Amino acid sequence: MTRPRPLQTAGRPAEGPLIELTDVRTHFATERGLVRAVDGVTLTIQRGRAVGLVGESGSGKTVLSRSIMGLLPRRGVVRSGSIRFEGTELIDAPRSTLRSLWGREMAMVFQDPMTSLNPLMRVGEQIAEPLRIHLGQSRAEARDTTIRLLTEVRIPSPAERLRQYPYELSGGMRQRVMIAIALACGPTALLADEPTTALDVTVQAQILALLSEERRERNMTLVLVTHDLGVVARHTDEVAVMYGGKVVERAPTAALFRRTRMPYTEALMRSIPTVDDPPHTRLAAIPGRPPDLVEPPPGCRFAARCAYARERCHAEEPSLVASSDDPDHHYACWYPVGTVEPVALRPADPAAVG
Amino acid sequence: MRYALQRIGQLLVVFVVVTFAVLVAMRLGAGGHRELARRMLGGNVTDQQVDEAVRRYHLDSNYLVQYLYWLKGFVTFDLGYSSANSMSVAKLLAPRFWTTALLGIYAIAVGLLLAVPAAVIQAHRRDSWIDRLGNVASFIGFGVPAIVLGIFLQLAFSLHWHLFPAIGDSIYPWQQFGAHVRNFLLPTLTLAIPQAAIYTRLLRADMVATLQRDFVVLASAKGMPTRRILWRHALRNSLLSIVTSVGTSLGGLLGGAVVVETLFDLDGIGSQMVISVLSRDLFTVQACVAFVVFIVVVVNLVVDLSYSLIDPRVRMARALA
Ligand SMILES: Nc1ncnc2c1ncn2[C@@H]1O[C@H](COP(=O)(O)OP(=O)(O)OP(=O)(O)O)[C@@H](O)[C@H]1O
Ligand SMILES: [Mg+2]
Repeated sequence: MTRPRPLQTAGRPAEGPLIELTDVRTHFATERGLVRAVDGVTLTIQRGRAVGLVGESGSGKTVLSRSIMGLLPRRGVVRSGSIRFEGTELIDAPRSTLRSLWGREMAMVFQDPMTSLNPLMRVGEQIAEPLRIHLGQSRAEARDTTIRLLTEVRIPSPAERLRQYPYELSGGMRQRVMIAIALACGPTALLADEPTTALDVTVQAQILALLSEERRERNMTLVLVTHDLGVVARHTDEVAVMYGGKVVERAPTAALFRRTRMPYTEALMRSIPTVDDPPHTRLAAIPGRPPDLVEPPPGCRFAARCAYARERCHAEEPSLVASSDDPDHHYACWYPVGTVEPVALRPADPAAVG
Repeated sequence: MRYALQRIGQLLVVFVVVTFAVLVAMRLGAGGHRELARRMLGGNVTDQQVDEAVRRYHLDSNYLVQYLYWLKGFVTFDLGYSSANSMSVAKLLAPRFWTTALLGIYAIAVGLLLAVPAAVIQAHRRDSWIDRLGNVASFIGFGVPAIVLGIFLQLAFSLHWHLFPAIGDSIYPWQQFGAHVRNFLLPTLTLAIPQAAIYTRLLRADMVATLQRDFVVLASAKGMPTRRILWRHALRNSLLSIVTSVGTSLGGLLGGAVVVETLFDLDGIGSQMVISVLSRDLFTVQACVAFVVFIVVVVNLVVDLSYSLIDPRVRMARALA
């Protein structure tokens, strides 16, 4: 099957920073207090790269990716810092600015394809509407483009699919439709928030392969949110590891696996399922609970669960600094892996009791 | 199609059961069929006339037979004789049926026309002053009895500003359109405002929930204009309760019709039913009840079939059923 090269990518610079985050904070006002879901993230995402965003459940991956998109609830959100997309500041941008970027410049694929498509609208129309509205295509043009997109995401007999409703498609097919929607207007950046968690394993691999392939062919920037470091290893160029609303380690993917510095990242790696494991093996979850995001502990947020933690870790917060031997490898840790011996966890700390 | 036929069958059963029950209730305790015939004819009647009525309406048979003859009459518009008006019930009720049917249709239509935009805007601007205003308005609209609302509208628009007639004849749109609108506007509003209040509350709640669903967020992420997200994506996914309530609030609406027809002196089924009950005009009461049940049945059928129009999954399930 020959796949036409998308035209929309022409004329864009191929390199340089695309998304620049500086001290990004996204807090939610709740009855319990201010939930610091994203709490000071600084990160630059280069054009055309695939960047993985990993971390345990609740570490702020979704909130960070939605902060980049600007898709946050309208009320009860306190934001600060700077998010620049192709140089445009987005943090306090009016909704009209965001809307001019959504679909055209940045697109998103959600986690659950079962709930992310409009159940009462034909699949074809859901793909065609951004084409008609953003690219001004006629009904017939949009139909042709839609069929081309469905072919591109490997949906069999696309012309018949156009007329179907989401309930008539399997989960994997729906996620392909979601990807077709996201790709429709040739976005510069694609944010995929756990695009495969809701799918079964064989389909997961296909969808991830499809995303990677599209990214390469379109020279698109991909932000891949996942809690699975195995996925990160196969599909990303760089990784940012999140914990408690912060990026705690950031490195080119190969470097991260070659020389893990953060004990938290190391713990996450132990929870990767391997092919040798029998199916449905329970993953070695990290003992203890994620930190309270309303009143985060002083010092390192991971200290209470860290096997290497010393006094200093509980008192003083480490900042994200470049490794002395690799300027691309950043981590926030006083005693990186390999520098001290593990000790027993402090049982007195209530946060450590899982 | 099979589903539609099934539903029509069920609703016909409802119609038959209700009209049969009314027939029995009204003819019960008459003490003999000649006595019953006398009652049905009313006033001074000769023995000959009584005999003829007994024969014609099979009053000497059991209720089931009587009912079947009544049903036969109903479908051929032979509805019997109105003792109080000394004319055939069909002739008496034909224009009245239209008055009530039109009032009901207008009330639902105007109610929806007021409620849908209000609910969509309220849900979109949730907790803003406009949402609060809408909530207060629908609270009042819901709480005020039809009689109070009707009198208020009458006082304000007819007696004070002389904009509309306080009481008017039932002029039909095919007779004189302008006069029809003038005569029906206030009665329609009296019925429509409480309906609008119910619809608004239900639709607003559903819209608020729908606007938080993933596919609506995705529509945003696609860069769709707000208008399209609200009207094209969210509204259709929020129609379940409001459509259901068109059916369930019909009883209240018809109750309101009695009040409104009386208040604005429109000759309708509602007001006629009250008059006929008071004057023991048995044929007329029977026919009025039949018409009211008929309206309820038809509206419920429309409501039921519109679920399929809205949701392809319902269509699918019904096709397979
Ligand atoms: N609207 C909100 N109001 C209050 N708290 C919120 C809101 N959205 C997210 N949070 C909180 O922010 C924290 C980070 O959530 P987030 O969804 O980003 O985690 P995640 O890393 O995506 O986790 P998962 O792997 O489970 O998807 C969580 O503690 C969550 O409870
Ligand atoms: Mg998430």
